Formats: sequence, structure tokens, C-alpha cells
Amino acid sequence: MDIIPQLIVNSIIAGAIYSMVALGFNLIYGTAKFFDLGYGVLTAVGGYAVFYFSRTLGFDIYISILLGVLIAGLVGYLVEKAVYKKLRARKASSMVFMVAALGVMTTLQAIIAILFSSQFQVFPATISTQTFQIFGGVITGVQLIALAPSILIMFGLVLTLRFTKFGKAIKAVSDDSEVAKMVGINTDGIISKVFFIGSCIAGLAGILVGFDTGIEPTMGFSLLLKGVIASIIGGVGNIYGGVIGAFLLGFIENFGIWKISGEWKDAISFGVLILFLLFRPNGILGKKQ
Amino acid sequence: MNILETKKITKHFDGVYAVDGLSVGFEKGKITGLIGPNGSGKSTLINLLTGVIQIDGGSFVISSKEEISKILPHEVSDYGITRTFQEVRLFEQMPVLDNIFVVLTKRNVFSSLFETHKKFHLERAEEVLKKVDLWEKRNDLAKNLSYGQRKLLEIGRVLAMSNGFGDDSDIFFLDEPFAGLFPEMRKIVIGVIQHLKEQGKTVILVEHNIDIIRELCDHIIVLDNGKLLAEGIPNDVLSKREVMDAYLGE
Repeated sequence: MDIIPQLIVNSIIAGAIYSMVALGFNLIYGTAKFFDLGYGVLTAVGGYAVFYFSRTLGFDIYISILLGVLIAGLVGYLVEKAVYKKLRARKASSMVFMVAALGVMTTLQAIIAILFSSQFQVFPATISTQTFQIFGGVITGVQLIALAPSILIMFGLVLTLRFTKFGKAIKAVSDDSEVAKMVGINTDGIISKVFFIGSCIAGLAGILVGFDTGIEPTMGFSLLLKGVIASIIGGVGNIYGGVIGAFLLGFIENFGIWKISGEWKDAISFGVLILFLLFRPNGILGKKQ
Repeated sequence: MNILETKKITKHFDGVYAVDGLSVGFEKGKITGLIGPNGSGKSTLINLLTGVIQIDGGSFVISSKEEISKILPHEVSDYGITRTFQEVRLFEQMPVLDNIFVVLTKRNVFSSLFETHKKFHLERAEEVLKKVDLWEKRNDLAKNLSYGQRKLLEIGRVLAMSNGFGDDSDIFFLDEPFAGLFPEMRKIVIGVIQHLKEQGKTVILVEHNIDIIRELCDHIIVLDNGKLLAEGIPNDVLSKREVMDAYLGE
């Protein structure tokens, strides 16, 4: 096994997972305009839903995946309806939103831990046991499969935003929600659906991580942090920026620990974040404030 | 018949009354000019009637229905009201064409989900953008337009709402639509306003240019310090001494 091809493979896999989290996070940030710290926990919701359906109820793994994605979406949708929509109606500040999101994250994490314990868990079945050699690097079947949804989601979102009425309405709400309301766009309806879609993406990311390494109640926070760093590097609120930032982060992290201990991975990520905040706060593709 | 009435509405900011017990009516199918010196409460009145800010007291009657004391931004289009802003507000990151398309989108989110705009939407958008001379700019981002073009796009968006595919608007508030426009652009806006009147729509026009007021308006309302100073036919009102004193500084 050659080290460079393996580092490239690892970088791409990490980038694919981070990009899914960044895509959903950016989509929600763009429309709802707040840092949704509760977003990360939806990865755990998706992962544990698959664990419950496949292990406890004995459902087929593919049906469990579908249900896991939908349940993550539903939880995100309900949180938006029950918490964030009410805060918007009260014109709460972004700080209030962030604290509320932190509360959502802590509550959902605690519920998952109560229901499933805080122990690390693995799914009872996998979607692939194969491994492949690519230019001297080893990639598992699960990792290869994880690449596809991130690319499909990115193109799906781009096409939806560009060509559908729904996508144009999302962009309008993102641009000026007050004017959007005045021209008859149901902004709350749009934001709720964005939460559903974004949460489904988070759920899928959590499920793929579950197949690759396993699940634990707090898995969402580290994924969220990487997704947020990727979003900031790429440009917060920018769909393409989130993807570019995610893959860049994946490469920086993995090549950064080439000659040093893996413990440095997070330090390197946050070091890059600080550099961007200092010298390019709008990110690679972000618009100037 | 009045399509919109205000009944003793008030709005104050830090104790200063921007609108002070104002009762006025806007006649259906007419162009009403809303004039007055700077700070007289014209834009505040529009902001109150379009839910941008909420009234402190009084009520509205829209289309002779029940009195309401509150109107929220998302209800504005349901009441058939649309507006432009003194400082132009567009969907800046979207192309010119999409700024019109969003208006032509049906109000129901479910029906718009994954639907794309069809030929008839494009034809309607083309018609509107040609009227405001922006068809050639249809693929440009709104943020890249010149000041005058941005004003015209906002007017185009209003025009699209006059006969869109959702709930058509009946009441159009235009807040200083001629400010900063070249003469050719002014002609376009005058044409749009006259077209709205021909369609039986009600236009409320905030404007400082008295010649335009005389040319376009059927009726004018003069505000001063948030109160009604005078109202009536333009030539009659504009010749009143108190109006000249307050508004024209004569």
C-alpha cells in the first residue's frame, strides 16, 4: 500500500462526508440565517434510526436506511416547526437562535443516549464488505458508496435551486425574506422544507459514517464542526463553496498528519479555520458582507 | 368606492408621531398621489399598510371587508397589495429573469415543489421585461444592474404581480419610482402606471415631482407631520396656500 494514494483516498472520503454535512448546513443557514448548532445531532438521529430498525426490529438494511433518512428529516422538520418558527415569529436575535439550537442538540443527544446508551454501536449488517485497490490506495465498498450521494446531492441541489420554482423561492427567501413574503412566497413553508431536506442529508451522512466506523450519540458534534469549518472555508451559505471547502479540509487534514500523529487532525482543521477567519473571512466563494 | 381606508392610525418612534391619527381612503381603480415634505409620514404610511412596521393605534379596511388592526408582511399579497421600496429591494443574487419568475410562482409551496417554469411563465416574464426594457439583461444578476435598471426591475416585478398566475394584486404602492431615473426610464414607468390604471388597478404613488403628480394622478393626499393636510384633485390641492407653504416652501 502506497502512502500518497492512500492519503488521497482518505482525503476524498473525508471530503465527501464533510461535504454532505456542509451542504445541508449551508442550505439551512442560507434560508433560516442562523448557525444551526443542532444540525449535527441529526446525523446521529439518522444513524440510530437505522440501528433501531435493522437491529431491534430486524428490518432489511436498505429499508432501514430509507427510514433513517426520513426520520432524520422529520425530526429536523419538527424542530423547525416547534422551536425555530416560533422564535422567528418573535423576531428573536441570532444569539437566541444559537442557544436554542444548542438546547436542541443537547436534548436530542440525551434522548439518544437514554434510549440506546452512550456506548459505541455498529450496524448489524453492512452494504458492502468488499475492498478495492485504486492507484495503490485501499478503499472499502462502504467508502466508495459514500462518495456517490455527496456528488448526487450537490448536483441535485444545484439543479433544484437553478431550475425549479421551489429552488428559486429558496433563493428569494435567502436573499430577502421580507420582500419574498410580500411577493407571496410562503417563507415559513420554504424554510420548513429546507429543514426537512437539510436534515435528510445530515441523516444520510450519519448513516454512511455508521457503516464506515460506527455510531455514538455525540458523533454529530464533531461532524458538525467539520461541516461548519468546510462551510466557512468555502463561503458560508454557498452550495459550491461548502463542497470545495469540505474536500479542501479533507485533504488538509489527511496530508497534515502524514508525518505526525493523527491526534493533530482536529488541531490542523481549526488552525486552517483560524487562518481563513483572519485572512479570508468570507471564504473562497463567499460574498463580501 | 374606496378599496383601502385607514381609520385614525398612529405610529410613533420614541415619542415622535410619524403618523398621527390619520384617516384617509384610496379609491379603487384610481391613481392617488401621496405627497408631502420629507418626514411628513408618506413612506411610514406605506410601510404600515404593507406590514413592514406595525401600527400603534387605529385600523384599516381593505376591499370593504372587516376592520383589521394588524397586517403582516406575508399577508400583504393575500390582501392583493404589492409595493416598491424607496431604496430598491431586489433578490440581488438572482438573475433578472428569476426576479420575475419568483413572482409568477404559485403561492402553494407543494405545487411549486420540483416544478419548473413553463413556456407561459417565460412568455409572461418576457412581456414584463420588455415593457421595462430589461429583456436584454434577463440573464444578468440583479446586483450588477445600474441604479435606474434596478428601479425598473422592481417596477417590472410589480407589473408581473398585476396579472400573475397566483393571487393577482389590486393595490400597488410605488414609493418614489421616478427618483434618479433618466427621462427615457421615466417614460417607461409612466407607461407602466397608466397600464395598471387601464387594468382597473389602484395605484398609490409617493412622488416629489409635481409635474408627474399633475400628469398621472386622479387624486392627491398631502401629509404634513403625519397628519392629513389636504386632499382632492391635483390642481385644486396644489394651489392651496397651506399646501404651498408646507410642501413647496412658498
